[in-house]
Amino acid sequence: MTGPLLRIEGLTKRFHSGGGLFSRERAMIAVRDVSLEIARGEVLGVVGESGCGKSTLARLILRLIEATNGRIVFDGTELTALPASALRAMRKRMAMVFQDPYSSLDPRFTLARVLAEPFRVQSRAMPPDAVAAMLAAVGLPETLATSYPHQLSGGQRQRVGIARALALRPDFVVLDEPTASLDVSIQAQIIALLADLRDKMGLTYLFISHDLGLVRYFCDRIVVMYLGSVVEVLPDTKAAPRHPYTDALMRSGFAPDPARRREIAPLGGEIPSPFALPAGCAFTTRCAFASDRCRSERPVLSQDPAHPVACFHPL
Amino acid sequence: MSAWPAPMRALRWPVGGIAGAWLILIVAAALFAPVLSPYAYDAQALKEAYGSASAAHWLGTDEFGRDLLTRLMYGARTSLSVSATAISLSVACGMVLGAAAAWFGGRFDRAVTVVVDLTWSFPEILIALILVAIIGPGTTGTMIAIAVAYLAQFTRLTRAQIMTLKGETFVEAARSLGAGNTYILLRHLLPNAFAPVLVAAMLATGDAIILEATLGFFGLGAQPPVPSWGGMMSAGSALVFKAPWIIIFPGLAVAATVLAINLYGDALIAELDIRSKLRGAG
Amino acid sequence: MSPLLELSRVSVAIGKVALLDRISLSVEPGRILGLVGESGSGKSLTAMAAIGLLPLIGGRVTEGEVRFAGRDIAAMSEAERRALRGRRIGFVTQNPMTALDPVQRIGGQVDIVSRMHLRLTKTAARARTLDLLTQLRIPDAAAVVDAYPHQLSGGMKQRIVIAMALAGEPELIIADEPTTALDVTVQAQIIQILGALVRDRGLALLLITHDMGVIAQICDRVAVLYCGRLAEEGPVGPIFAAPAHPYTAALIDCIPQEGTARGSLRGIPGAVPSALAFSTGCRFHPRCRRATGLCQDSAPPLLPRDAGSVACHHAGAAP
Repeated sequence: MTGPLLRIEGLTKRFHSGGGLFSRERAMIAVRDVSLEIARGEVLGVVGESGCGKSTLARLILRLIEATNGRIVFDGTELTALPASALRAMRKRMAMVFQDPYSSLDPRFTLARVLAEPFRVQSRAMPPDAVAAMLAAVGLPETLATSYPHQLSGGQRQRVGIARALALRPDFVVLDEPTASLDVSIQAQIIALLADLRDKMGLTYLFISHDLGLVRYFCDRIVVMYLGSVVEVLPDTKAAPRHPYTDALMRSGFAPDPARRREIAPLGGEIPSPFALPAGCAFTTRCAFASDRCRSERPVLSQDPAHPVACFHPL
Repeated sequence: MSAWPAPMRALRWPVGGIAGAWLILIVAAALFAPVLSPYAYDAQALKEAYGSASAAHWLGTDEFGRDLLTRLMYGARTSLSVSATAISLSVACGMVLGAAAAWFGGRFDRAVTVVVDLTWSFPEILIALILVAIIGPGTTGTMIAIAVAYLAQFTRLTRAQIMTLKGETFVEAARSLGAGNTYILLRHLLPNAFAPVLVAAMLATGDAIILEATLGFFGLGAQPPVPSWGGMMSAGSALVFKAPWIIIFPGLAVAATVLAINLYGDALIAELDIRSKLRGAG
Repeated sequence: MSPLLELSRVSVAIGKVALLDRISLSVEPGRILGLVGESGSGKSLTAMAAIGLLPLIGGRVTEGEVRFAGRDIAAMSEAERRALRGRRIGFVTQNPMTALDPVQRIGGQVDIVSRMHLRLTKTAARARTLDLLTQLRIPDAAAVVDAYPHQLSGGMKQRIVIAMALAGEPELIIADEPTTALDVTVQAQIIQILGALVRDRGLALLLITHDMGVIAQICDRVAVLYCGRLAEEGPVGPIFAAPAHPYTAALIDCIPQEGTARGSLRGIPGAVPSALAFSTGCRFHPRCRRATGLCQDSAPPLLPRDAGSVACHHAGAAP
């Protein structure tokens, strides 16, 4: 039981689009050379805006899509080298909760069938009363077992999504913006539920979100991504940002307190197209500190284990 | 949403209900023709030939004095069974082909698409005529001809459905649990693709009845003395002035049945709320 | 100053279902009123009632009246109401991706507003469009007017939608969740632009959002809606400092902020019921920590309190 539960090294994903009869093929790097470790029991946050590659990263880690380059080692086993059958068995130990609770449940399945699916695809016998127990664990009444997803509210559906992910008692769960399409009142419920389940079941989470405030509340360590690259790893939730982008993210959140209104200094410039990234640091087009060096050379994540940052002019 | 399945709920619509009632009537007439019909379909009574509607023959008689109502009921048997069987065959093959194309993609998909697009660009009647010419006239030939004529439609619809469903999160969720290809195809993709295909099949059955009648009219369908609506119209066409009922009643039967199928189909589409999905098939 | 938009005891129904129950609000020039609540609380419906668009969704005002600049909207002809929308009232919708016509160039879409409402010529309208885009800090406005929507980012599109709302020189802007579909850094930008417009031009802004952070950042007053009823209304300072209604307090407490202890966020139990299943008495009582038998039996009236009003039997009581 030593070493990290998950270690990824140099993970890269390149997507190609077009290339059909009517369009030129273009390539974009959705995830560029990402390396990180997740310790057992940790909640690692990945934060970034749309197009930063956080969802792609999640899918790469679970091998729902194949990486172009890099290694993923889960509890000593290299996932990237695993044949399909062994990978399928490994999926018992890793699970995912998806962003959209409306489309993540098959509309033709009753909840009982949704919750039986993990056992079925892993050819494991389902204990009697398992459905009722799973529903109870996520705070849903047993009577919902015969309901269809469309009869549930968004928050209830997401609870079902969580119950399904935890059905086979995994060690590691990827949470891909599990509250992004819910009301704040329901978001707080779901986050509280996830925290309780983590304590009860000893889970390790990779929590993906665009909401830095939420990530700082829920996670132990925070990875900040911008256009496919990791720009900073905040070692704890109190750490002051060192990358100008992280700083901008923090300044963009509004506290629910009119006494703490801030002068908004919005980021200027535009987010570059992922198909045409600048040669140097991807953030140069919006960064107040950008120098000629930033524009021509790409900064790499510093090897400072205490607080890695990829910036030539850290704050 | 109520506990009734959509095909039952569609009957609650006024138009859907009337159309459904006609379809039930015509199917019952076809099924129970031997019990219900007052005569045998090939019982000739030359003395009574060209008789118009009477107490003994409600819809009159044809040129051989055979009872038109009886022949209409037996004709329904031929028309409906040939069309329904042909469409079922077409749906079964089309779903397998379309699902396989969408699932495997690549070269196989491109080949299927090209063939489908090619057949799609010919009128169904032309395809059917060519096939009957090859297989030979008769019910079996007609059935196969109709099945092939509509194959492109179901292949294309199923392929489009599966392509859309493949991107749904619940498919990704199943994969994240360790589900294999076969499981996902059989448990998630095909069941969800089925409803729109079912409605398309329903509507195509209407077209198939017309196609079957057309082939029958040309003498390529069921061979005499077995009655079919197309064959009856063909016989009546020469006698249009002498005994117009011989062509009018089977014509009305075709029209009313096809109309009923279309109206009921519309009600079913509204109940299943799949209009947008059907449109996706182009 | 007299209010530009005023709703007094407005009730709204769609078919037989009553959705809004005696909502009273007012927005003054140069002020921002925030309208907040969970989905299903009736925020967007209130906006639609405010501009007489209810018939579009089969709804109608069953009680009360909506006045714009002192005139009852219901008493106007449809032509007068149409002239109001776009000309004196501008809209910013939630989803900038669908608010723009995908096959029309940006310039044309903005031009048409001032050509229609201000009767400007083609060239004058274009000049005005370029001016507006520059004011909204859209870089390279001259190139953007020739672009199609799909060529622009989400934040850029939302600024175009704001430009369209401003093109008719309106006095009131109604913005329905204008930043919900946007990234946080872009949200900050848009909020800053909206705030500056109100400050610099003396516009009135009705800002609909589910985000208490946004409300705290730029609104002068806030109206909290729950299940089609006003829970609390008043100036933001006192309301955030000491919310009198437990629902307001709960909404604020849902947002993690600097110093929120881990595990302290629990959310609001339960969920917003459908309009067919509103509770008797106070509609919030099934989810409320302070609820008593009284709350179950009788609906609390909206009573004045400090500079605002609140509808709670236990207003301001310690939780």
